[in-house]
Amino acid sequence: MNIEAFIAERRPVWQHLDDVLKRAEMAGDTLSRTDLHELVELYRRTCSDLNRVQSNTANPEILGYLNQLTGRAYRFVYRAAHDTPVWASFRRLIATEIPATFRRERLAVIAAASTMMLGVLFGAAAVLINPANGRRLIPPMFFTERPRDRVERIEKGDERIDNVEKALFFSASLYTHNIKVSMLAFSLGALTIIGTILLLFYNGMILGAIATMYVLDDVPLFFFAWVGPHGALELPAIIFSAAAGLVAGRAFLMPGNLSRAASLRRVLPAVWRMMIGTALTLVCAGIVEGSFSQFSSRTFPYPLKIAVAVLLFAGLVAYLFLRGLGEEA
Amino acid sequence: MRELTITTPEHVNIKLEPAGSGSRFLAIMIDAVIIQAVASVIYVVAVNVVPRLVAAAIFVTASFILTWGWHVYFEVKRHGRTPGKRALSLRVIDARGLPVSLYQSIVRNMARIVDFIPAFYGVGALVSILRGDRKRLGDVLADTLVIRESQPLAYRGQLGAERHFNTLRTPRTLRLIRHRVSLEEREFLLALCLRAQKMSPASRYDLMEEVAKTYREKLDIDDTSISGENLVRDLTAVLFSKR
Repeated sequence: MNIEAFIAERRPVWQHLDDVLKRAEMAGDTLSRTDLHELVELYRRTCSDLNRVQSNTANPEILGYLNQLTGRAYRFVYRAAHDTPVWASFRRLIATEIPATFRRERLAVIAAASTMMLGVLFGAAAVLINPANGRRLIPPMFFTERPRDRVERIEKGDERIDNVEKALFFSASLYTHNIKVSMLAFSLGALTIIGTILLLFYNGMILGAIATMYVLDDVPLFFFAWVGPHGALELPAIIFSAAAGLVAGRAFLMPGNLSRAASLRRVLPAVWRMMIGTALTLVCAGIVEGSFSQFSSRTFPYPLKIAVAVLLFAGLVAYLFLRGLGEEA
Repeated sequence: MRELTITTPEHVNIKLEPAGSGSRFLAIMIDAVIIQAVASVIYVVAVNVVPRLVAAAIFVTASFILTWGWHVYFEVKRHGRTPGKRALSLRVIDARGLPVSLYQSIVRNMARIVDFIPAFYGVGALVSILRGDRKRLGDVLADTLVIRESQPLAYRGQLGAERHFNTLRTPRTLRLIRHRVSLEEREFLLALCLRAQKMSPASRYDLMEEVAKTYREKLDIDDTSISGENLVRDLTAVLFSKR
């Protein structure tokens, strides 16, 4: 076969396919009927050209060009179903899919929650045995003064957050940071499992140690009123992202008789729903932490803050474990 | 580098080439610069409209959404190409050759946070360099692949027309050439002729003589009066001439 003559003859077809593909890529999902028919037709012709070229030349330039062209067309011809409207699928995601996924993956959620609880117990026990252990467990940046002194300072001084603007900015910084932490918890779990377990245990341990120090210093109410309102959402959210990581990690590290890729593909829908759930919860938690959590007893009595914390937690649990319960097939 | 082969229902093998770490790094730099620019514009606009702290809150949220949503949006809605990838002819695809799905895109971009350790793609670059298919950890988790799409086909000149008197054009030699010169060798010879002018005279002479020696043996050419370069050029002309 004379490859040069072949290229000269077939080039208009390839050029045409390239043009149609460019149009299609620009158009998003609104490809016209004629364009679509043309695309399929041109794709088939270019495929057979690629076949001939593959057996007649090893020229990397021609092969690269035709592979690229057919590869692009292939993704248009054989792609999965078109997207459903964004808003409708988002509503379905919130209304049924996220809670259903959590119920299905409850084992991973329970595993993650227990790991954190173990950490809390360990931290608490360590401080109970010897209060000096607190200083060893907690990073110095979180431990600047004695709990009682801190409570006094905060209750005497001005409210830290005294207008909506400050609250907004503080909230925004908090939830962006926390979502990053949740992504880290997920990725570490997906890649190593043990990474997430350690992260959960470590965070639980710090929480347990700090809580016990406040209790020992006789200011438990302050602590729970301070951490409770956002903690009621934030801690579950971190647990959820870790659970998503454990689900992905199990699929990735222990694929059984599937290939790793196939095994991951199976859990992908569950994982991303759990992560969207986590991110949304963290946005709510951030807004609470940036505003309501920061007020001392002069603005909101502590029992009220704790009551709000309990309500928020109950609401989250009810949403995840009761929402759409009857609708499941 | 390991290339990806898709066998289509038409029984054609499409081969796609994974993109190297260098071009991917450059693409991400371009995206990062654009994202920062967009976020700064949003801040400058916001600070003139609303109080400073509210503008800061908008900036923090906007740059967060841009940083993490940018790639997801373009990968899903613009057929696997962010502006940076588009500039460098890269594309993210499902490792089975299909378009990347929303789930895959979200997972591959969340894992970016681990690829980013310790600073700007330490782990990701290392993993990508070590793997034959150039996947970073996010690609491994989402089973996606970044491929390099080759540039448009340049016109190839007519090499066959240059040489009118060709001592190799005897039936016997032509038959031997047909049987003993593989496809890869043909391309090698063509590339050699095209690049010859860029070589230093000494190395050009050595290389041509060495190649010619191989083909003298392979094709049973006894005529020692033609130089190495002439033999190589005659051979290439025969291979690529219009028959």
